Amino acid sequence: MRKKPVIVNYKATAIALLLLCGSFNSAKAQETDYKAYTLFIYNFMKYVEWPEAQSKGDFILAVMGDSPINKELQALASAKKIKGRNIVLRKCATVEDTYGCHLVFVPNSKSAMVKTLKDQTKDKPVLIVGEREGLAKKGASLSFVTEEGDELKFDINKKEIEQHQLKISGQLVSLGTLIN
Amino acid sequence: MVTLEDIFFCKTKFIFTFPLVSKEPLIVIVLAILVCLPWKMVSQTDSTAAKKDTIDFYDMSLEQLLKMRAHGVPNELEKLINSLISVASKKPLNTRESPSIISLITADDILKSGARDLIDVLRTIPGLDFGVDVEGVVGVGIRGNWAHEGKMLLLVDGLEMNEILFGTTQFGNHYPLDLIKRIEVIRGPGSAIYGGFAEYGVINIITKQGEDLNGISTGGIYGQGQNDYLHRNAYFAIGNKVNDFEYSFMGHMGDGQRSDQDYTDFYDSTYNMARNSNIKPNYFSASLKYKGLSYRWIGDYYNTSMKDGYGDVVPGIAVQETFRSTFHELKYVINPNKKLSITPRFTFKSQTPWSSKSYTGKEAYNRTATRALGNLTASYNLNRYVNFVLGAEYYQDKAMDHEDSSYFSNGKQEVSYNNYAFFTQGLIKTRPVNFIVGARYDKHNVYGDAFVPRVGLTKKYGAFHFKALYSNSFRAPSIENVNGSPDSLNIKPELTKVAELELGYKLGRRSIISVNLFDITTNDPIVYKTDSNNADIYVNEGGSGTKGVEAEYKLRFKKVNFSVNYAFYTAANKKQITDYSISNASSDTSALLAFAKHRVNFSAIWNPTEKLSINLNASLYGSRWAYTSVDSTDTSALEELPSTVLLNLFINWEPVDGLNIGLGCYDILNQKFNFIQPYNGYHPPLPGPSREIVFKLQYNLRFKAKNRKVVK
Repeated sequence: MRKKPVIVNYKATAIALLLLCGSFNSAKAQETDYKAYTLFIYNFMKYVEWPEAQSKGDFILAVMGDSPINKELQALASAKKIKGRNIVLRKCATVEDTYGCHLVFVPNSKSAMVKTLKDQTKDKPVLIVGEREGLAKKGASLSFVTEEGDELKFDINKKEIEQHQLKISGQLVSLGTLIN
Repeated sequence: MVTLEDIFFCKTKFIFTFPLVSKEPLIVIVLAILVCLPWKMVSQTDSTAAKKDTIDFYDMSLEQLLKMRAHGVPNELEKLINSLISVASKKPLNTRESPSIISLITADDILKSGARDLIDVLRTIPGLDFGVDVEGVVGVGIRGNWAHEGKMLLLVDGLEMNEILFGTTQFGNHYPLDLIKRIEVIRGPGSAIYGGFAEYGVINIITKQGEDLNGISTGGIYGQGQNDYLHRNAYFAIGNKVNDFEYSFMGHMGDGQRSDQDYTDFYDSTYNMARNSNIKPNYFSASLKYKGLSYRWIGDYYNTSMKDGYGDVVPGIAVQETFRSTFHELKYVINPNKKLSITPRFTFKSQTPWSSKSYTGKEAYNRTATRALGNLTASYNLNRYVNFVLGAEYYQDKAMDHEDSSYFSNGKQEVSYNNYAFFTQGLIKTRPVNFIVGARYDKHNVYGDAFVPRVGLTKKYGAFHFKALYSNSFRAPSIENVNGSPDSLNIKPELTKVAELELGYKLGRRSIISVNLFDITTNDPIVYKTDSNNADIYVNEGGSGTKGVEAEYKLRFKKVNFSVNYAFYTAANKKQITDYSISNASSDTSALLAFAKHRVNFSAIWNPTEKLSINLNASLYGSRWAYTSVDSTDTSALEELPSTVLLNLFINWEPVDGLNIGLGCYDILNQKFNFIQPYNGYHPPLPGPSREIVFKLQYNLRFKAKNRKVVK
């Protein structure tokens, strides 16, 4: 025999709605904390040494494509200097746009560009920093890692760093993980 | 009438109506907005504060950099779900990716709940429940299965508490709650790692060690029931870590009572349990640790008194029964390099459980069992994504009978068994999914071997996570199981297959919901029965199991914490053992004996100030089946007991740093919860405590102030 449909009144719906409204409320706060990433990048700028010729003038910090980190990097550029040099943020669409930059940040969405970036900036003094885990193995100088427990760490490809004529300080090396 | 079961298993078609013209929905919408508003305000305040601190933030030292989180400063909920736990995998993983269905309870949860003992804490976990065995002893059940006798492993700091004569653990005013750092519960099988007592689950208690104590801690509890006191316990602990040396010593003593209510057996004999159901914990522990080398000792002397015996009221004064155990562990963690860790571990335990003089209907029981165990485990991290664990274990059990005219089945007063085991596990983390594969092989010199593989897939993708797990597990026959098994029947380990699926979603930063489905099938369970000569025997017989669903929602704000969980179990379409089911009394094949099909736990904590917390919590039990009487032919008869709600309120106040004063009321509605025997053992439900007013005190004196600096 077919069962009679049961009418659940709006009170049940009301409770469900209340819970859902409350629950989804702060969904935005789930996002990655790019302020933490920016702090790491600032320390990369401080503890990596560029050749003499690139140690004057503005420090040019590039980001491939659009990324929520731009806002945080802009805040950094406004608040801090690197050894007395102004930090200038540049948004790049192509690899060619990065020429002349000191540091290039490759967001998750542009991870596929790392190899091209590596090939085309070979022998140029640029530090390539990848957001996605594992990019240091694919040609980035440094790449971020989120460890168990959400701790933010980074991998170091020392060979790539040296190929780009850069020197990384021992202090920074001791904090990261060398992949070669 | 629509039941929760109907909703979960879609037995009924639902139509949701929402009359827009009605006034009530407007109230709902207004309430919803009100719920939303304060959260937005909090978020904006945080943002403003962050802007102000920008310059200080960038000047953080390199060492502080190491504490940065990829998703910002974790709130209480994130700390909880990002906690690294190794109980399910040996290799530490966060709770959302750990390859088991996990529940985690912290010291702060325990403090604010005002829990009187482990029963209060564990019954708030979906799937866990309690029943009475015999002689006033209360044991644990999980997911609708009676797990008291060797099916649920209880670990305290890695040491197995289960007594090895029967495999049982005893709950109720037993372990020192105030000295627990956290409790990790695997609500599924753990045999592939832990062997024969972890067939259905693992309760892993981690107590506070030297570094956690960092000084002296002392306190106690007094609980007054309607007719008599119910808890009078005190504890003391001291510990510290100085450079590489860490030490701790702790003691917990007391006098509680199972109940202050009347117990009536099937034949209408009755007695009042006040002063006749004492449960007196005497628990001591000492630990010494220097670098990788550690030594641990635990003395657990649990003294009880009872008059319920095996169901019939024992005439005369209450019978004293003791459970005495001592544990030793020597462990050395060797790290030849950063990737490899080798841990040789030796443990020895001596246990004299269920020890009592003879009383009407039962002979004296006084047997001691010892287990000497050696374990060697190696863990190798090939890289960040691949880990292997390999280990071997050997133990020797000995049992001695101290009564003049009592013997084991070999005709002697001493028996000895041995067992060796090998186990392995591989964990591979890839971007789409984490794989875990493991297995354990045990070989016992009497009952033979058991091989239990397991496989699991887990992963979190931002806010979403899933776990798909399949395990075999086993229950090793205990010494008395082997001793009580007729030679002709050759007792074997009982084997269980468990499939589990968990889906979870983090609803913003402060709340998470998770739902899991499980299916448990046990073949040839070890069953206690009497033979044609009315002698007690253990045999492998029939099958058992349950399936069901568990759901949990947690919401944690600075000032308000809220959690609710629901569990549903059914025995439908599973083999059932007549004496462990209600099959001979009801046509409802899905109902269980002793355990409610539907359970709901609810907890709301309000922290009006940092120093004050008010906790209202409740445990709702659906109707439960119990043997409550005998008919004219002396056959025990089943009855469906009505639903029960245990409602509790506890207020904790910290007037000065380190001093916590708590006052609460347990079982406000005075429902007088009964512990039901989950098998047909002619034991009526055992009354639990009546409404109880609880006063708690805890004082922690730190040797050295902890660094309170918070990295932003």
